[in-house]
Amino acid sequence: MSHPFTSQRRGLVLYTILWLLIAGVNIILLRFSLGFTLVISITEALIESLLFGLFGLILWYPIRYIPFRKNAPVYSILTHVLAGLIVIFAWLFITVGLLEAFFSNNDAYIAFLENSLFWRGFVGFMFYLVMVLIYYLVSYARTLRERAQAEEKLRTLVKESELNMLKSQINPHFLFNSLNSISSLINSNPEEAREMIIRLSDFLRYSLKHRENKFVSLEEELVRMKDYLSIEKVRFGEKLSYELNLGEKCKHIQVPTMILQPLLENAIKHGVYESLDPVSIKFNCNLHQGYLELELKNDYDPDQPVRKGTGVGLQNVSERLRLAYDGRGMLTRKTGDGVYTVKLSIPLDKNSEL
Amino acid sequence: MNKITTIIIEDEKPARDLVKGYLAGLDRFELLGEYDNGFTGLKAINELSPDVIFLDVQMPKLTGFEMLELIDHQPEIVFTTAYDQFAIKAFEQNAVDYLLKPFSKERFLEATGKLIERVEKKDGEGDGISKIRKHIEEGDDIIHRVVIKKSGKIHVISTDRIEYLEAQDDYVMIYTRDEKFLKQQTMKFFEKHLDNEIFIRVHRSYIVNVQSIDRIEPYEKTNYILSLKNGSKVPVSRSGMQVLKDNLNF
Repeated sequence: MSHPFTSQRRGLVLYTILWLLIAGVNIILLRFSLGFTLVISITEALIESLLFGLFGLILWYPIRYIPFRKNAPVYSILTHVLAGLIVIFAWLFITVGLLEAFFSNNDAYIAFLENSLFWRGFVGFMFYLVMVLIYYLVSYARTLRERAQAEEKLRTLVKESELNMLKSQINPHFLFNSLNSISSLINSNPEEAREMIIRLSDFLRYSLKHRENKFVSLEEELVRMKDYLSIEKVRFGEKLSYELNLGEKCKHIQVPTMILQPLLENAIKHGVYESLDPVSIKFNCNLHQGYLELELKNDYDPDQPVRKGTGVGLQNVSERLRLAYDGRGMLTRKTGDGVYTVKLSIPLDKNSEL
Repeated sequence: MNKITTIIIEDEKPARDLVKGYLAGLDRFELLGEYDNGFTGLKAINELSPDVIFLDVQMPKLTGFEMLELIDHQPEIVFTTAYDQFAIKAFEQNAVDYLLKPFSKERFLEATGKLIERVEKKDGEGDGISKIRKHIEEGDDIIHRVVIKKSGKIHVISTDRIEYLEAQDDYVMIYTRDEKFLKQQTMKFFEKHLDNEIFIRVHRSYIVNVQSIDRIEPYEKTNYILSLKNGSKVPVSRSGMQVLKDNLNF
């Protein structure tokens, strides 16, 4: 923890002004209440204040490194009283010594110095206590803030690991039904069975990779999504058709891995799984006002009942975008005329950093 | 020996091919047809009366379970499914057998072995199906649609479309905005399986969708009556009023 006054220029200036103000009050007292000459008043006030100011700055270090022990308050208080006495004694010894040397020919002043020793010590001790109090408050506030920051960081980490868990979940229906299709194809069409195993492996490998929270080019993401769709195509045949359009300018833009997969899964689940008629899925991408826009459309039957608990996959995508792009990535959806559209907006400026 | 007549109801072609391929090697079974959804499958069951069906659970519009609610003829059933915790429980207890995809030929033969046994010493029809139905009734899954056969057509009614239900002896009359459907089922079943935030049993004989309520009016001295948006009136019992109050916070 850095020094509350000396670590910042502003803090030091403020601290100095404070002591100069105290010195000012002291000058007025000496000059007008006690009637000493201006030279004596200014010299005494400056020496006292500046010296105490210096001691005060140093005080931070013992307080910072010898924290107040709540379980031993008497011990802590005694330590401070003792330390205070030492500081005050040193301070008195130096100031009074200096002043006596400067004004040794002014008997009235020397007498005043010697008579007022107790009061000087008392006021000095009060200053000492105020300084200690300020330092403890600063130290306490900083500890609190640091703890809150640590907690916030922890929460983010937990959230991230939760997201990782969710991301790595491949729908078991998809997996087991695909394996069943392969099992069937091994008899009827061994070539296609082998193709399907390879596509499934590529897709699974890719989905494992994204635990690391990586970014990939949109081109690569789409290749894997094609694997996914072609596997579903084997299962559903004519019922599923798809069209993925990737423009030249979108190809190399970096996107979070598996960001499109939940969109496709959603389209298949609510489109293909729930429909008796053929369903087509269309993907398009665009650059628009500093954003990469990815759009997925699928046919769906508007009459199907809305089920609770659906859309968790899309919510995860939305959350991932929010985290990955500091709240500027966005997911929007819209329905109409039997077509469901999901659009992802990804800020392009982040890409230059990757 | 009589052949055992069979149909396959399954929406994925490779999965149908697999069962078909396994069945081809078995002389005892005769495949009458294969169907890729619950509607055509249902028609085939009622027309062909097969001894045995291989039935997929997850199918569009009408699941394997919903289809079973509508059949007249009661065949023996082997379920095929990929992954469904609830379904697996139901099978374990009641179906002749259930095959978890992907399944081996050995596993398939085990199932057909059981089928042959069941068909040969058939004691009363379709005991298994009524047990499966019972299992669904006893579970606490919320239903999102109701399937009903009305004048030869199958209606799949999303529960959001239901305005209220009325008890009629062993049946329940289901009212939508412009139609009504008679379903052989108990009020207790609907009270339990409809989303109880939306559907409230306001009376021994009535369950109402709260979204279709227009106003609540006093009736005689101590009773109330509901006026629905479509103009129908539904009586409210004293305990029904209490449930309404709790649910709508008034």
